[in-house]
Amino acid sequence: MELLHKGKAKKIFADSKSKKYVVIEFTDNVSAGNGKKKDIIKGKGNLACDLSEFFFRYLKKKGVDTHFVKRLDGSQMRCTKVEILPLEVVCRNVAAGSFCKRYGIKKGTELASPLIEFFLKEDKLHDPLISEDAAIRLNLASEFEIAFMKSVALSVNYYLTVLFTQVNLTLIDFKLEFGKNSDGAILLADEISGDTIRVWNSKGQSFDKDLYRKDEGDITTAYSFLLEKLNETKPNKVLQREEVLYVSVMPKDGIKNPPGEVTKKALIRLGFGDATEVRMGKIFEIHLSKPITSGLIEQLTLMNLKLLSNPIAEKHNVRMEM
Amino acid sequence: MTIAVIRFPGTNNENDVLRGLSLIPGGDPYLVTNRQGSEALKDADGIVIPGGFSYGDYLRAGAVASVGTIMDGIREIADDGKPVLGICNGFQILAEAGLLPGALLPNRSANFICKWVYLKVSENTVGFTDGMEAAVIRLPIAHAEGNYYCSEEDLVRLQDEERIPFRYCNEDGEVGEEVNPNGALDNIAGIVNEKGNILGMMPHPERASRIVLGSVDGLDILENFVRVTKEA
Repeated sequence: MELLHKGKAKKIFADSKSKKYVVIEFTDNVSAGNGKKKDIIKGKGNLACDLSEFFFRYLKKKGVDTHFVKRLDGSQMRCTKVEILPLEVVCRNVAAGSFCKRYGIKKGTELASPLIEFFLKEDKLHDPLISEDAAIRLNLASEFEIAFMKSVALSVNYYLTVLFTQVNLTLIDFKLEFGKNSDGAILLADEISGDTIRVWNSKGQSFDKDLYRKDEGDITTAYSFLLEKLNETKPNKVLQREEVLYVSVMPKDGIKNPPGEVTKKALIRLGFGDATEVRMGKIFEIHLSKPITSGLIEQLTLMNLKLLSNPIAEKHNVRMEM
Repeated sequence: MTIAVIRFPGTNNENDVLRGLSLIPGGDPYLVTNRQGSEALKDADGIVIPGGFSYGDYLRAGAVASVGTIMDGIREIADDGKPVLGICNGFQILAEAGLLPGALLPNRSANFICKWVYLKVSENTVGFTDGMEAAVIRLPIAHAEGNYYCSEEDLVRLQDEERIPFRYCNEDGEVGEEVNPNGALDNIAGIVNEKGNILGMMPHPERASRIVLGSVDGLDILENFVRVTKEA
């Protein structure tokens, strides 16, 4: 097989069967601190592949669009070929790792609600935190793609958190990567394993790569434990999370908007004389019982053209937030 | 020969249209509700979509009705070249359905307008206006979204292909901005499709079809519609 890419813990090969796919091999290489600490731990690759397979299958069942296609022999899986977006998406429920150092927060502090952070995938710069606006200005992802990844990351967080709760484990945080397939659809890609998540038991004991980072234990034992626990879970008992999409419809520029004009007059009458123009449109709040996918957005865009807006006089926009 | 008069939830002019058509020999109208579906149109030789407020004008006037269960049947009849007339909300529905070009936007004044207007009939007949060439007629309008709008290319095509049978005008038949009630492009009150078998108009011919109503100018349009349906 032709090697396409060699990462720190995985190798990507061309799939001999189809250009649409690649074969991802999980290696036994373990590293931390951007490669400062490096080791080979026998059996780790296979366990990371097992965990990733479990999570991808589970998330796919819940409706998340992932790159996972099929488990192959050994520590390999066939995946849809994607162009990885150069951003790591981190979702945090409880303060740990770099977040504590950055803000001087005590490890284990619960966050009021899940936090999504983006990091620039650039080894030379040690994968720095990047603001959403900076990522957009640098053309690393569009505003829509950022919102899309945030929405999917929050869905994934829900589905994983509830699953871990079933076996008395707590999902502290995790990292996701996304990629675009040849049709331009954004898929959840890379891996989800002990290498990319933090999981604690009720006593605050880790079952993830932190054990290796801090020399506190054997990660193959921890990953095996995680897998064992996950196999005890009941994925069917995890209810679908409600998602909301917003469609805004506005009169096109240059189209007279009498409802906005009379509203402006009324605002001025009430003393709000600073309004120079008011344009009135509509917002549709659309509730769904499955995670947002590129296919769903495409369908909704079609619905905008067919029903929600009149493209002759109105413009429309799908948004994840109001 | 039968003419199906369509009722959506919120349509409220169906009885006026049924009565107007039944005054005409051979009119033979019958009521079809959206819920009955396309099947109920299999004997129809022509269709009238009357005015009203289908689905409460929610979303946009005519938008929800334009994807109603009966629309496939209406589209089929229109594709067969049989006559279809949309009055007021019926015009809005036909535009939303893409059977006629353009859109009906909120009136320039943002008011609901209910009044008698004069219309200049085009010099070139479109079948629905036979015998009325260049006439000035008087019909009532009653709408909040009658401001006809379309792309510049569409407007040029409508004008070049003489597909604008009705324009708002004054008593003397002069078409001008000052007698434009709602802001419609080129004072457009009604248009026909390329094939000439679909007519959409904002004014109400059925409300001017008997002397007691104050005008019988609309009867000519309904009579033409019946005649065209017979011929189709």
